Amino acid sequence: MLTPVEKIIFILAAIASVGFTFHGFKTIIDSIRKGRPAPELKNIPGSLLKAGIAVLFQQTIFKARKLLSAIHMGLFFGLITYAFVNLTDALEGLIPGFDLVYGGKHLPYENVPTGLINTFNLIADVMSGFLLIAITVFFVRRFITKDKALTFRDNVLLNPKVKAGGQNRDSLVVDVFVVMHVGARLMSQAFRLTEGADPFMPIASFLNGIFGASEVGVHVAWWISLGWVMFIIPYLSRSKHTHFFMSPVNLGLAKQNPRGQLDPAVPLKMIEGTRFDPGAKHVHDLAWTRVLDAYACVQCNRCQDVCPANFYQRPLSPSALEVNKRYLLKEATFGGHPEKLELPLTETVISPEAVWSCTTCYACVRVCPVGNEPMADIVDIRRRMLVDGYEIDSGVQNALQSLATNGNWMSKGKRLRGKWAKEMEFPVKDATAEPVDHLWFVGDTASFDERVIPITKMVARIFNAAGLDFGILYKEESNAGNDVRRVGEEGLFEQLVEQNMAAFGKSQFQRIVTTDPHSFNTLKNEYPQFGSEWEVKHYTVTLLRLIEEGKLTIKNKLSNYKVTFHDPCYLGRYNGGFTAPRKLLELCGVEFVEMPRNCENSFCCGAGGGQIWMGKVAPGERPAENRIKEALTTFGEGAGDKTQLFIVTCPKDMIMYSDAVKTTGNEGKIEVRDIVQLIAEAVGVEEPKVAEPVAA
Amino acid sequence: MNIVVAIKHIPSIADDLPVSGKNVDFDSVDFVLNEWDEHSIEQAVLIKEAVGGTVTVVGVDLIGELDNVLHLALAKGADKVVKITADDPAADSHMQAKWLAEAIKGMGANMVFAGVQASNDLDGQIGPMIAAYLDMPYIGGVSSVEANGDSATVNKEFAGGAGAKYSVSMPFVAGVQAAPKPPRYAPVSKVRQMAQTATIETVSPSGDASAGLAFKNMAPPVATGHAEMIEGSSKEVAAKIVELLKSKGLA
Ligand code: SF4
Ligand code: SF4
Repeated sequence: MLTPVEKIIFILAAIASVGFTFHGFKTIIDSIRKGRPAPELKNIPGSLLKAGIAVLFQQTIFKARKLLSAIHMGLFFGLITYAFVNLTDALEGLIPGFDLVYGGKHLPYENVPTGLINTFNLIADVMSGFLLIAITVFFVRRFITKDKALTFRDNVLLNPKVKAGGQNRDSLVVDVFVVMHVGARLMSQAFRLTEGADPFMPIASFLNGIFGASEVGVHVAWWISLGWVMFIIPYLSRSKHTHFFMSPVNLGLAKQNPRGQLDPAVPLKMIEGTRFDPGAKHVHDLAWTRVLDAYACVQCNRCQDVCPANFYQRPLSPSALEVNKRYLLKEATFGGHPEKLELPLTETVISPEAVWSCTTCYACVRVCPVGNEPMADIVDIRRRMLVDGYEIDSGVQNALQSLATNGNWMSKGKRLRGKWAKEMEFPVKDATAEPVDHLWFVGDTASFDERVIPITKMVARIFNAAGLDFGILYKEESNAGNDVRRVGEEGLFEQLVEQNMAAFGKSQFQRIVTTDPHSFNTLKNEYPQFGSEWEVKHYTVTLLRLIEEGKLTIKNKLSNYKVTFHDPCYLGRYNGGFTAPRKLLELCGVEFVEMPRNCENSFCCGAGGGQIWMGKVAPGERPAENRIKEALTTFGEGAGDKTQLFIVTCPKDMIMYSDAVKTTGNEGKIEVRDIVQLIAEAVGVEEPKVAEPVAA
Repeated sequence: MNIVVAIKHIPSIADDLPVSGKNVDFDSVDFVLNEWDEHSIEQAVLIKEAVGGTVTVVGVDLIGELDNVLHLALAKGADKVVKITADDPAADSHMQAKWLAEAIKGMGANMVFAGVQASNDLDGQIGPMIAAYLDMPYIGGVSSVEANGDSATVNKEFAGGAGAKYSVSMPFVAGVQAAPKPPRYAPVSKVRQMAQTATIETVSPSGDASAGLAFKNMAPPVATGHAEMIEGSSKEVAAKIVELLKSKGLA
């Protein structure tokens, strides 16, 4: 079809396009390789294949925004189809007589597979239509209805280019590309229909009905269609749409170790002659897999949607972090400003205040369709800020100082840790002195906080009633260090692990049970790296087992309660502990209703990652308050004479939500209870009657 | 600038404070760095960061556990640490002041800082006594020190928020009430690194130190009553209060 001159122009343009594309991707790969060693990835081909399949079926995007995800899926299939379409179009241009309309009847070959060609023509034609519709939806969403989900809070640090609308420009270019490319492609086919409509090309035939056939038209439309492709491919490597190529790769190279296991502060794999400082100050202090995150990021803001800190109007947006990383890298490479990489991440990518707002709830990582880990970057940045002597919040500092000297964050003496146990009506074994089956790792809040101690005692009573052979470490227990690590104090975390490992070493026990999901997480997922080899269970699992084995009997069905359940991040999203608490509630016979945000999609109470230590409380509706409102909306009006309960399985939740009930003025409407309080009522274990103190 | 910081290791009040005989049961309490001393270390390091010099931290080792505190001081920016091995947990501020003064004497200090007081005895004696032994002027209640040449601008705080600015010529002793900035956090990794690499200079207590005070008795406070929470609506509560007052013959 093309004239010889056109062919030469086309080939030269194609070579230039390939050259720019190659340069683009080489630049990207070089910058990714400058990142630090990442934790070892196993079976990379296998996980890449798995990721490929996930991408093919667009599985990961459906975790949120179902409708838009479906449209994205159409766009995706359309573009895949177009990869083949572009190939045949190129052949149409280069090979004389290569023409696929009318089932390929003009092809100068024998035995043409007419059926196959017709099928291809039909798919290409219909997909063209779908692409145009899908891209229109996305265009309208971004530019006409201006979906808020695509914007950032004013207080979030943004790269100036992002502020100036860089993302919108990228999107516009791609929108225009799709419209022009697909439109031109349809026209080029329409102009080819010299013999009227082709039933397998309904849209092209419709256009042919309007514009007729034209030899010149074929040339013009062909050039528009393929010219755009040659421009767009190298452009993509420099725009946010690099995600077309990088997100499947990133998904294949995503975190493999348990969710609850943080990457070490200093890479385990050392490169000879390199001394790494802990954590990250500059972008290339991040593991290379997380430099890659920036290129894989779709900039969809799904992570921002679920971020409790962002909800709380803090200046934190996990997506802004990735977007800023991306723009920083772009300026440093394509933009020719490598000196920008010398600027600390806290000036270019995320503000210090935002760094300290993260609750490490993992919601952002969980929801991300491309396997990004903004949270891990935040922890790395905290780590470096701490060793660099950044002035941290005074509450956090006090907590850390107390943890370093007392082994707990509450400035309580070590000897007071077991005080509650000594007040019990039966002896609680000291696991460091006599062998026990279950070592109960109690945790700081449950050991020291007056508001939680009654619940701690109830757990002990129930264990005792079930005949569970258990003991505690008394003064030898130290904070497990989960949140210490997530605050970025790696050295203190290691110190606490050593102290606890030493205490474990002194004791004889078979397994660990813990009431605190935070301790549970690190004991289960991180202590094994320091030599722990014990099975660790959350008390909800232990309680369920005790009931199932008949060691505890449900005597009273609690049908007078209407309850909902909050999944604590470190039990649920991190460790998949969704079923045991729900089963327990079912066994208790309560009326159970599920909040909209449940299980994987549970909403953080706002206490994790050291937030509970913060001295300053920011204004605005707190995540826990929002959660209480969610519970009340879920209950609706119809509780009748039932008592409405908000059930928790984490000592920190007890505090956060009891407060939130008060601050939202909902006392009397909803009550926060630990699941063990329901079990106690159901199995008939009561607090011993104490004589009323006599007035002095 | 040569700055010496005299510190004090004191029983922690994070625990219940056990009493044995006429004094605290030193065997069953943890010892911690006096809170005001954290501020004097911070103040010293701030000056060093501003004008250069060295910071030496010196303290009396009462129970053989002062090393931890000295490593912490090094991690926060001290250059040199010295411990006076006394091994007497009951040594009071008079005895400690004498030993500290003897140790500091040869150090050629331009400024000596001590916490304005310590929360165990609250007598604020260490600073003034060191000053007397070293024959230096003393200024207490200090909330900031800026070194300029051979004098320093010192802010002192008075009750009710009033403050005064002094120009003090060196050498002098200052009792630090608070550093201009909250004492910095020393990451544990740094403290541990110091513990592995740093050397602590050890000196014996010298000088004729005699205790200032003798304990006659020490006892934990005795609970003499308790609060009773009256519950109910405001009317019910009011009624109960009236009843209670009547029953006590007060109404
Ligand atoms: S971990 Fe949670 S709080 Fe932190 S950035 Fe992600 S979503 Fe936000
Ligand atoms: S990090 Fe993931 S969820 Fe967040 S904007 Fe990027 S692609 Fe979307």
